[in-house]
Amino acid sequence: MQLTTKRSIIGVLGILFLISLIFVQWMEVVRKQEEAGLAKPHIAVPASSQACVDCHRQAQPGIVAHWEGSTHARKGVGCVECHQAEEGDADVFAHFGQNIATIVTPRDCSKCHQKEALEFAHSHHSKGGNILASLDNFLAETVEGHRAPFNPHGPTPGFDVQSVNGMASAFSGCQQCHGSKVAFQSTDGGAINVDDLKPGPDGKPTNSEAVAKIARNQDQKPLFHAATWPNTGIGRLNMDGSRGSCSACHSRHDFSPRRARQPENCGKCHLGPDHPQKEIYEESKHGVAYRDLREQMNLDAESWVLGKDYNAAPTCATCHMSANTREPATHDPGERISWTNRPPISLRMDTDAEHKIVTATDPVEREKQIADTAEQKRQRMKNGCSHCHTPDYINGFYKQYDDLVVLYNEKFAKPGMQIMNELLKQGLRTKTDFDEEIEWTWFYLWHHEGRRARHGASMMAPDYTHWHGMFEVAERFYIHLIPQAREIAKHAAEHGKAEQAKAVNEVIDALLARPEHKWFKEGAEGQTEAIRKAMQERYGQGGGEKK
Amino acid sequence: MFGIGAWLHERIPIRGEQLREMTNEPVPNHLRRWWFCLGGTPAYLFVVQIATGILLALYYESSPDRAYESVRHITHEVAFGWYIRSVHKWAATLMIAAVILHQMRVFFTGAYRKPRELNWMVGMCLLVCTLMTGFTGYSLVYEQLSYWGATVGANINETVPLIGPLMKRLLLAGEAYNQQTLPRFFILHAAVLPVAIVGLLGIHITLLRLQGVTEFQFEDEKPDEPRHFNFFPDHLYTELIVGLVLMILLSVLATVFPAELGPKADPLTTPEVIKPEWFFYVTFRWLKLFPGTAAVLSMGFILFTMFLWPLLDGLIRRFWPKSEFSVWAGIVAVLAIVGLTVWEGAVAH
Repeated sequence: MQLTTKRSIIGVLGILFLISLIFVQWMEVVRKQEEAGLAKPHIAVPASSQACVDCHRQAQPGIVAHWEGSTHARKGVGCVECHQAEEGDADVFAHFGQNIATIVTPRDCSKCHQKEALEFAHSHHSKGGNILASLDNFLAETVEGHRAPFNPHGPTPGFDVQSVNGMASAFSGCQQCHGSKVAFQSTDGGAINVDDLKPGPDGKPTNSEAVAKIARNQDQKPLFHAATWPNTGIGRLNMDGSRGSCSACHSRHDFSPRRARQPENCGKCHLGPDHPQKEIYEESKHGVAYRDLREQMNLDAESWVLGKDYNAAPTCATCHMSANTREPATHDPGERISWTNRPPISLRMDTDAEHKIVTATDPVEREKQIADTAEQKRQRMKNGCSHCHTPDYINGFYKQYDDLVVLYNEKFAKPGMQIMNELLKQGLRTKTDFDEEIEWTWFYLWHHEGRRARHGASMMAPDYTHWHGMFEVAERFYIHLIPQAREIAKHAAEHGKAEQAKAVNEVIDALLARPEHKWFKEGAEGQTEAIRKAMQERYGQGGGEKK
Repeated sequence: MFGIGAWLHERIPIRGEQLREMTNEPVPNHLRRWWFCLGGTPAYLFVVQIATGILLALYYESSPDRAYESVRHITHEVAFGWYIRSVHKWAATLMIAAVILHQMRVFFTGAYRKPRELNWMVGMCLLVCTLMTGFTGYSLVYEQLSYWGATVGANINETVPLIGPLMKRLLLAGEAYNQQTLPRFFILHAAVLPVAIVGLLGIHITLLRLQGVTEFQFEDEKPDEPRHFNFFPDHLYTELIVGLVLMILLSVLATVFPAELGPKADPLTTPEVIKPEWFFYVTFRWLKLFPGTAAVLSMGFILFTMFLWPLLDGLIRRFWPKSEFSVWAGIVAVLAIVGLTVWEGAVAH
């Protein structure tokens, strides 16, 4: 080869190399623009999902736009990968050449996110659907509604009401957070759900009769029972036997990590009079810091590890689920919680191998059953706290929290429960909940006010601990529960149930004779004087006029 | 200008003619054929590795707590980090491939024969150093493959009789993978092995220059044409072309198949399938075929035989001057290497 030819080849190759470097530069610029949110990320629609994207871009442009903003889209996970179903699945239908299903369950997500799905399956979140047989649901299905459709009182002008769906409150209320038992319409007019389909370990139905009865449209698409779908409740009972809905927190179809990291995401369900965690958080120093420093939270980052990627403030996810430099991420918030404040009387989160709370009281038996102690769970939480707080500070906080929970348990919850149980035992209240005033009183005490006090203390919100919490618990106990129980006893004594009335009064008397309740019976003049004197000494004023 | 030239000449007393003589040795005609340039290719890729390696070392942290995170940081956050890491990874792959091809060319053309036996041995040392650099390199990422690859590698060493346990301790800096293991790998990968390669390369090239390149004559060469051509600029241009093609190839590979990041090392979870990088597939398959110590010893024996091959070949040729034994042995060896590599690559376990 001539030297001039070689030179020419070198020249051409040199230019090609420069072009390759310019291409690299271009890729880097695009990457940085995407990171800064200045450019749409590069999306490669998988060939199997191209037809879905083309058609649904016209029909539901929002779905496609959301998906295009997702990590799934960037990584080449398209529509088919998640919605794919197999022959034999209860919900499978052929859709333009693909076998798909409408609902994507945790079983589907677990094909790629195995660890997360397993952690979630162990969590209390995944058991949210258990409410369908609980006291809360009795409220919605019976007290607020009716388990069967019933006739309207009269016509509604402009709207044809043939019958009233008595379950509407349960469907639109409870089940939108807790999860529905997803059902298909049956050809005989009923509903077909997981109980009828009896899925095997592979999630496929074993009851072919039930499958045959699923009502389908002219395209053979199964028809959902409208009361149970749409639903993204976190403990949804799916037809393949899996529990839960990943989109409860990872909203479809962008499945944004950014959103899941923000407290507003949890606030869809964790709010309101019975468990105002969202409001409690907002009142706390944590929430105040988050509101102020949100821009420094690095919420868009791919990796979001406390102590490495951000330090500005914690969100719900930070403490309960996300990774920090000392603790890996978990999809089971219960792994870091040391008390459950959900029941009337708070319980320690000592759990067995099945992740159930150990309720045995015998220490030997407890030790035998416990697989993961509350203290271990607390240590995991502390590993997060310790990024911003010293050990003394953290331990001090936990002492305050434990003391509040124990105070609530011992001063109000256990006595309240004792009175309610005695009334039931003596036949002075019915077994039906919510048909007597005292049952509403007791429910308010533990389910609303008692939880507010405990949750307030757990997340450092003083107003919720005191004014929305213990203050109202005390008022409910002394001014409503005790007088109502006395009134029931009095009424019983007047109607030939003197023995029963006596038993109830003895329980109340014994409770009120205890030192912590003595003030209610005997007055507390001495105590108020002592407090006033102390205030005078400390601040130079008496803390208000004596009335 | 004259002043600067004189100043330099006073301090570096080399004349222009001497420099031309040093750099412009006549090159045999067969080097016009591109496959004879494979010897320069690994050296060229080695330079790429040094350059990209220095850039990566600016951000890499060699403690087990930080290693994976620092590689993630390089890949996802540092400007051009993904490109530099990908070029480093692909250049390593190409370098090992080029070393193997170069060695095959030397073997089948008999270029290792007298008086070049020692240079073959130096080349064998370079091959071992290159493979070790590859091994320690992918161990640094601290992904599952890194951790378990290192653990398996150390356990294999342990099966060597007598010195096995010591070798394992030396490699892992203890009885098992610990805080000191990764820094040790890093020092081996970024200091000890590169310095060894530079030294060995120096000897390799010096011996090459002293003995000259083995000369071949191909049938299509005309007898009246000159048998040599100039190194400068003729052969240098060829090397430049090879270098540019390599750089373009590296850029394309790095952009189309960028280096990815597997799951972080988890000492508590043994992956279902452990596979080393492709260049260890042969060894890995061999180890699966034969029981522990036998496999390691036979592998060592094969390596030692390869090392001594010029001497063994000399012996054979002394008794049977017309023997083609080495060619047939080479063909069997290549088929075995390719076969075992493909076998390991094709099966899941």
